[in-house]
Amino acid sequence: MKNRLAISLFTLCSLLFTASAAHAMHISEGILPFNWALLWSLLAVPFVAWGLYKLKKESSVDLSFKPLVGLMAAVVFIISCMPIPVPTAGTCSHPCGTGISGILVGPAISILITAVALLLQALFLAHGGLTTWGADIISMGVMGSFAGYCVFRGLRALKAGLWIAGFMAGLSADWATYMTTSVELASGIKGDSPFLPLFWKVLLAFIPTQLPLGILEGAMTAGMVVLLYKKRPDLLVKMRVLKHEEVTG
Amino acid sequence: MEVFSEHPKNDHLLSRVDARVKLSVSLLVLAMVLSYKGLAFPLFTLCISLVLCMGIKVRPKVFFLRFSEPVLIAFVVIMIKFLFSGQDAMFSINPWGMTITGHKDGLMDGLQISSRILGAVSVLALLGFSTPFTELMSALSWLRIPRGLIEILMFAYRYIFVLSEDALVIYNAQKNRLGYSSIRRGLSSFGVLAGSLAIKAFDSSQNTATAMIQRGYDGSLPLLKQRPLRLAEVLFSLFFVVIMGIIWNL
Repeated sequence: MKNRLAISLFTLCSLLFTASAAHAMHISEGILPFNWALLWSLLAVPFVAWGLYKLKKESSVDLSFKPLVGLMAAVVFIISCMPIPVPTAGTCSHPCGTGISGILVGPAISILITAVALLLQALFLAHGGLTTWGADIISMGVMGSFAGYCVFRGLRALKAGLWIAGFMAGLSADWATYMTTSVELASGIKGDSPFLPLFWKVLLAFIPTQLPLGILEGAMTAGMVVLLYKKRPDLLVKMRVLKHEEVTG
Repeated sequence: MEVFSEHPKNDHLLSRVDARVKLSVSLLVLAMVLSYKGLAFPLFTLCISLVLCMGIKVRPKVFFLRFSEPVLIAFVVIMIKFLFSGQDAMFSINPWGMTITGHKDGLMDGLQISSRILGAVSVLALLGFSTPFTELMSALSWLRIPRGLIEILMFAYRYIFVLSEDALVIYNAQKNRLGYSSIRRGLSSFGVLAGSLAIKAFDSSQNTATAMIQRGYDGSLPLLKQRPLRLAEVLFSLFFVVIMGIIWNL
């Protein structure tokens, strides 16, 4: 009897962990207690302000910049709502899309784009939330965009090919988001328990989907960058992703 | 996308309440839900929100779709806290040499967090269902959310529907050509789809900007004009917040 109970419990837990992680990396409304929600929101403010400053600066020179950022936010929204199959978990999961936006428009505007996509998802899809908006901006917007941007630029400086640089940027953006989300979740739900053991458990719970999902997101990001290079290299030059000589040469 | 495109009905009991009032009350109730130590208040909030959602005739399918993810997350949180957190053991079993222990205090913590999730999501869902997008943007601007952020929100909202239709057309074309018949092909197709959307976004932004400049766009979008707040709705919302505050304090 005890054994049967144990097996049922174990199976249930395994199913639950894979299923929950499949719902991507938004922290749901209400998970974080008030003090943690406030802390993450305050941490997110300077990054969003930096994005708004860049937006104001760029759009004062180019009136098409705001529509472009809005459309990119719509693209990130759609990409992060698209289900892609994760073979190891047997479920579908959603990519972040912050790696590619970090590459294309830089981390400051990418943070702003993520903030907009997250707010729309929170208000109309119950993915994420208003009180977890700050935490989600930090994990997906700040960590994802910086990881994607820095890895892509770093690898390109080391003369890596577009596919490899794109792949590593998407992968690192996804995994950086996943690591930060684990920290935020563990700190939010730990209560009186110690932080580290719970952090490792949350991290482990995400592994079945997030490890392969990172690889899938890397492949998707690489595919996007290569497609843009083949079809519209002028856009990559305009967005300062590539230099003019790299396209013509 | 079906849930997203579910526009709030125009005529219901919350449609006459100003979006600024709804947003302010929602934020205050959310703060109360998050700071409450226990199950009662978040569950009470959930019940009130459910009744109000039924009152404004939200379709049950849309409602359950909106709640499906938070309910699952709440359940997982209960299991994580029950099995991996706490001191007061309820039972312990050893399948295949592994020790699985259920904790009473962990279970209580998990239930508390889950009630918070459901209560908070219900408030947010009610706000989303009862308030049209343009009114919500106007209310955000009243709350001193920076204008640049609101403008990007408005551009993004407008183009989500356009781009999602394009994405669907590309996806169906890829599917008909066996673009998703294997993982490798699926990934490649997904990259092409996402890349095509990015190209479409770049091109559309240029065309949109040109069209807008021709119509007098000077770099900022107009927002909905706010009417003066009615005394009755302010007093009623204050009364509601005070009642919720009293229940929170019980």
